[in-house]
Amino acid sequence: MRTLRQRLEEFLFPADSDTWLRILRIGVALQVIIYSLSLRVDWHDLFSLDRAGVIKRDLSEAMLSAQSHYIPRLGWLVDFASRFGVSEQTLLTLAWWSLLSAAFLLLIGLFSREAAIATVFLHLCAVKSTSGLTYGVDNFTSIGLFYIMIAPLPDRWAVDSWLRNIARKDNHLQGFHRRILQLHLCLIYFFGGITKSAGTGWWDGASIWYALIRPPFNLLSPETLIVWKHLFPILSISVCLLETGYPLFIWLRKTRTLWLVAVITMHLAIGLAMGLYLFALVMITLNVAAFGTEFSFVTTETNATREVVAPRGRFDRAAIDGTGYL
Amino acid sequence: MTVCLRDTFSIFATTPTVFPAEANKFWQGGEQVAAAVLGERLDDSNWLRNGITVYLHSAGIEAGYGFFAPNVPANYKVVFELRYPDGRTAYEIPRVSNAATGVRLAGLLDQLAEVSYTPLRETMMKILAYSVWQEHPDANSIRAYFGRAHLPRPAEFERGDKGSYELLFAYDFSFRGRQLNSP
Repeated sequence: MRTLRQRLEEFLFPADSDTWLRILRIGVALQVIIYSLSLRVDWHDLFSLDRAGVIKRDLSEAMLSAQSHYIPRLGWLVDFASRFGVSEQTLLTLAWWSLLSAAFLLLIGLFSREAAIATVFLHLCAVKSTSGLTYGVDNFTSIGLFYIMIAPLPDRWAVDSWLRNIARKDNHLQGFHRRILQLHLCLIYFFGGITKSAGTGWWDGASIWYALIRPPFNLLSPETLIVWKHLFPILSISVCLLETGYPLFIWLRKTRTLWLVAVITMHLAIGLAMGLYLFALVMITLNVAAFGTEFSFVTTETNATREVVAPRGRFDRAAIDGTGYL
Repeated sequence: MTVCLRDTFSIFATTPTVFPAEANKFWQGGEQVAAAVLGERLDDSNWLRNGITVYLHSAGIEAGYGFFAPNVPANYKVVFELRYPDGRTAYEIPRVSNAATGVRLAGLLDQLAEVSYTPLRETMMKILAYSVWQEHPDANSIRAYFGRAHLPRPAEFERGDKGSYELLFAYDFSFRGRQLNSP
């Protein structure tokens, strides 16, 4: 009979391929590239103290310092560059190109670890220096980037794997990192669902209506939406159930596919109906990386490639299972 | 987990929920315990507090996940009344160049509404007003109006109600004699 410790080890360190990491790396790198491009026109207005931006970087950074002086910010880079006579405008342009380049390197998997660290740092600097203008998508991008930064890079699709001939990492290490991401997503949805369930508007459908007619998310006119008013309570209760039930139903083999498809559909609908395309992209990426790698379109791995790392006897069950789910 | 608990307790304690008001003390207590675990009760210069804070921000987990919860927040608007030396007035709103920044601006207004520390709120409004004045430097002064839009419920909308606007606060700012780049 297996001990509790063995069961815990099997749960936390299942043998897994690097498919999840490929999906996460490519998806989050694309996310950062689109983020950079979407802010290209406003970049200097957002960060330069000399421009007519809606909120100044120094105010955001002062508010950040109230929490800690050690949280990365663009002000650090500006101050450092000024010692060498580099102007703020030049530094901001450099920072934008550096973020875009780092994200591109991450996308193709060249110098994966270095690119991941640089992307995390520069993205964090940008986000924290506009803390008044950030929303959920920035946090989820940071979460994705952080997991990539500490993950066993490079994966098999990364240029590093064949160009720099860097050896692939332990399958159990891959499984461990993916497991943490899975648990994290469960927390995210559970607490999101619980807090929504506490509001009366999510039980009578009013919250869905308000969310869809509230500027700047009002892509659909109220006249169009009102036709579907009887659907609002069903949709909003479904969202509560979907999110609160995520930790249970995404884990059960029989309901995993249904739950995953439903969650992805929800994020697609939010993206299209409310214009939150980046939010949809990052959430779908995180979900597919965490729970979607068993689908046939990505499970092309053969037994031969699985044996790159010597299997560990105590993980037999998880290794045979191939997914590590208990 | 602790961050999620802290923010969930905070939301339950400060916003109307399905739970009875008597439970608020419990939520507040829970929030305080979670905040203490995260080192927020330690001195600002404490290395443990700073270490935890930097880690949470770097990993993107410094906040909970109560988006649009427990209820969808009100819709806030800011309007600037520009007053010119010849007595003319004109109205402006903050401008952004694309939808992506527009979403971010909406988030900023939500945060502004939640700022209870008046000097900070005034400073943030002044910065917004200054960005508008830079586009209209010949204006004498700017009055910034911040208000909340009451959106109609579906039944109210069907009866023809398009919603209303409630003024929350207004500030007068004068940038006369200022250089364009010094708010």
